[in-house]
Amino acid sequence: MAEFRIGRGHDGPARVGEYILGSTTFATPLLTSSFTSSDSIIAYGAIGRDEPLSEKPMLVSLPFVSQLDEISLPKIRDNDSVILPSLISLATISPDASELVFAYQQEVLSRITPSIDPSRTIIRIPSVAKPESIVKLTEFGSHGAAFSFDGQLGPRDFGAINLRSHLPLFMMTLAVGRIEPGLIPLLHYTGFDIIDIGYSQDAAANGVRLWKNGAEKIELGTGYRFCSCPACAKLDTAKQEDLLNILLEHNLNIYKTIISESKEAMRSGRLRWLVESTTHNSPAHASLVRLVNRELYPFIEEFSPTTGPDALPVIGSESYNAPVVRRFRDYVASRYSAPDNKPIILLLPCSARKPYSDSKSHKRFNAVIESALSGMESRVAQVILTSPLGLVPRELERIYPAGQYDIPVTGDWDTEEIAIGANALVNHLKKFSNSSVVIAHVSGGYLDIVRAAESKIEQSLIYTTPEGRATSRESLDALEESLLDLKEILSISGGPRTELEGIVSATADYQFGKGAGKVLVPEHAKLKGKPYRLILCTVDGEQVCSYVAESGTLSLTLVGGRLLAPLKRYWVRLEAQNVKGGSIFAVGVQEADYMIRPGDEVIVINGSDDVIAVGRSEMSGREMCELKRGRAVTIRHKKE
Amino acid sequence: MEESLSRINEVIRQATFQARGSSLKQRKKRDPTRPSARWTASARVGREQGTALAIVLSTIGCAHARSDSGGCTMCSYLLDGVQEMPTSDQIVAQFKFAMKELEMKRAPLSVKIYTSGSFLDNEEIPMEARSEILRLIAEDERIREVILESRPEYVSNSILSSIRELLGDRTIEIGMGLESVSDTVRTICINKNFDLLMFKDALKTAKNYNIGMRAYVLLKPPLLTERDALLDAIATIQEARRLGVTTISLNPVNVQKDTLVEKLWTRGNYRPPWLWSVVEVLREASSISDGWMKIVCDPVAGGKRRGAHNCGKCDTNIVEAIRQFSLSQNPTVLEHLTCDCISQWEHTLNHEDFSLVVHR
Repeated sequence: MAEFRIGRGHDGPARVGEYILGSTTFATPLLTSSFTSSDSIIAYGAIGRDEPLSEKPMLVSLPFVSQLDEISLPKIRDNDSVILPSLISLATISPDASELVFAYQQEVLSRITPSIDPSRTIIRIPSVAKPESIVKLTEFGSHGAAFSFDGQLGPRDFGAINLRSHLPLFMMTLAVGRIEPGLIPLLHYTGFDIIDIGYSQDAAANGVRLWKNGAEKIELGTGYRFCSCPACAKLDTAKQEDLLNILLEHNLNIYKTIISESKEAMRSGRLRWLVESTTHNSPAHASLVRLVNRELYPFIEEFSPTTGPDALPVIGSESYNAPVVRRFRDYVASRYSAPDNKPIILLLPCSARKPYSDSKSHKRFNAVIESALSGMESRVAQVILTSPLGLVPRELERIYPAGQYDIPVTGDWDTEEIAIGANALVNHLKKFSNSSVVIAHVSGGYLDIVRAAESKIEQSLIYTTPEGRATSRESLDALEESLLDLKEILSISGGPRTELEGIVSATADYQFGKGAGKVLVPEHAKLKGKPYRLILCTVDGEQVCSYVAESGTLSLTLVGGRLLAPLKRYWVRLEAQNVKGGSIFAVGVQEADYMIRPGDEVIVINGSDDVIAVGRSEMSGREMCELKRGRAVTIRHKKE
Repeated sequence: MEESLSRINEVIRQATFQARGSSLKQRKKRDPTRPSARWTASARVGREQGTALAIVLSTIGCAHARSDSGGCTMCSYLLDGVQEMPTSDQIVAQFKFAMKELEMKRAPLSVKIYTSGSFLDNEEIPMEARSEILRLIAEDERIREVILESRPEYVSNSILSSIRELLGDRTIEIGMGLESVSDTVRTICINKNFDLLMFKDALKTAKNYNIGMRAYVLLKPPLLTERDALLDAIATIQEARRLGVTTISLNPVNVQKDTLVEKLWTRGNYRPPWLWSVVEVLREASSISDGWMKIVCDPVAGGKRRGAHNCGKCDTNIVEAIRQFSLSQNPTVLEHLTCDCISQWEHTLNHEDFSLVVHR
């Protein structure tokens, strides 16, 4: 028996799980090698050619043999998984040859099926196969798939990752070939569960010591880098014949270190950052990371949680299109509606401190607004310009990742950042009335954004920081003056304070899509609370949702869920009529909205479309449908 | 054969044909009265040290390689041939020209006639030319051993009986590319287009005329891992011994122009065998043979990128040891060879098998 169970948690497509072979359970992600095995390294070998390293189950590969009857099936132990055979390089011979790789494996599978159950097998997928062919692989009944890497980090290695993104979600994913340590975070991030570290031996045999981000040729008697690992302590006194084993042990330590770092990064929601930080390993590595970012965005985004760590490092250009960053821009662009009655739109610079309101600079801005417009602050739409999020409407300043992102704040923005910002700004301002007036209270890079957007802005535009920083006395005075002038000119008079409504409504739209705000916060809704703590929203005497400042998101009540249900978004349909217990497991889910990401607030319905619970998703909508195991939703409220 | 393997065979056949491309039509113009090549070397002839003359006759080349079947995946020897069929007289002239090399040599002599095809194929070597060449050999008492090359389909009682008649009591061997004992490997990886049964029949026919069989064993056809290749060659030599083959000629694949192997190699999808594998197979072969078969190996392009090679540091020594072994048949010359790169080779054997990623 070979079983792969996906565990709880996500950071992009990265996952943790359990690989169960007989009575042995390996935690994934897992390494694999032919020369050492442990709890965190599963052994592999070719059947009839390599002896098992230990009693523990292993991955056995079937060699290509001329007669299928020659396969020494009796040598395969009951709990070993079986990698189906292929011919090396066959797939590269012609464009259709990949199909033959599958056909051959299928034929072998049908031959061995009497003694080896298909569920014990792992199918080999050539890096040059067509993505369409991957879908058909479920017919094999294999529990896993093996992708090969030539280590060039070129089109073939990208091909392997690309194909992996098309694999059915339940399948265990094995990466084999020439895999340098520096590639491990990316492989983990893109959802590989078992990673071959055979290259550690190859490098050692070549006299090469591997590092996290490179390699070093070791010649005894010459200088080499200091290393704190126990193997390298022996280097100084080593003889030539000891070198291979010392290097192998060191290389192994590097692989162990990096997989452990990668696992910890996933636990703390910083795996994406770790992957981005590997960009500088080499130009080829950078190209691969960029290609994955660009081409596999939908795959990566689908599994990227909508909540995250308290501080999200967003450092280099690789972050500009990080899934949570680009998704934020997309959601603001497509889901945010301009509130009515905002004659003034104020563009402000971001602050290092999050949420912005807590920063010194924004406290000053607010003081100026209050002093100029006392009682009418709600008539100003505040928009904070920032990179690489583009812009953040004040109402959304606490939502992930706007409330958590952390960027270098030298104010030097590159052309891509400026283009991202300008694009977002143009799009945003189109949502507002042309008669509104835009005040650009920004300087430096922020000013570059406004200037870049200026020709496409329909509203009148006032710059209040002709020179100097936005927080300088002169600038603040200019801002106050402009606000006072506009109050006169636009004859802004009193009106209700709408800050709370604005926050809850904008957050509802952001979380549940356009229109959700109008449903949860109708005209007669009653709101009370503080933006920096908790806002309760009540409709017709019943609480529909609460805004939690800590996460910047809304938690629904059952009543709120019922109000939103007709929008047919973020729903999870159960097979059961009612929810029992505090969680819903994937096995019980009949269908779910594919829009759901891990961490989203979701509405649970039954076959009769009754809203029976609300809760927080633990996986993406597609996973809820495809996976047979695992927690899908943590229930917040349910119908009793 | 399994259905999927037949489909693979078809793809390989087409790819081999394509790789050959127009190379055949663009063969250099050659003097049809001169052989493509000839050379002499010290060799073991019978139990004595003597001289061997190797002649490569310039012909239109192997019928299999000229056909739509595309020929073998690793072979473009026929590019050494000519575009237009030479006449019988011209072919005999080629032979005579080469024989001049032996003018000053002492007995015992061995003559090997290669054609980049089949010497027994009437389409390639007209009957008259063949008879005349054999007659010329028969006149030379110094020549004690004759080796002729052919695919099995041209081996017949009538041809062999006339050869035996002409050459008298000389040792005769037919060199034949068995390549692999496995029909699948021979078909899929080599596109050889004959099966083991045909080889066995040819061998039996030859035996009837006391003609020996020199089996060419290919080391590392494409689509096999280093270890697949190593094991296949050893298995082939074992079977050859059982069948009564008289000589094993081990041929490590070298990357020849306009072949499927070259196409794979250029894109990093093929590496010629390690010299360590060659040594390993020879050691095994020597022990399998136990003195019954002659084991020879002359790695073409040995130590070069296109031939069997190791790390570059040890190649010359190892190629030399292989030559020594072929000459002396003494396996001790293959012992105690060592180099740092042996651990890399060992890694390749194991890791290429599992990963199916070509280790260069």
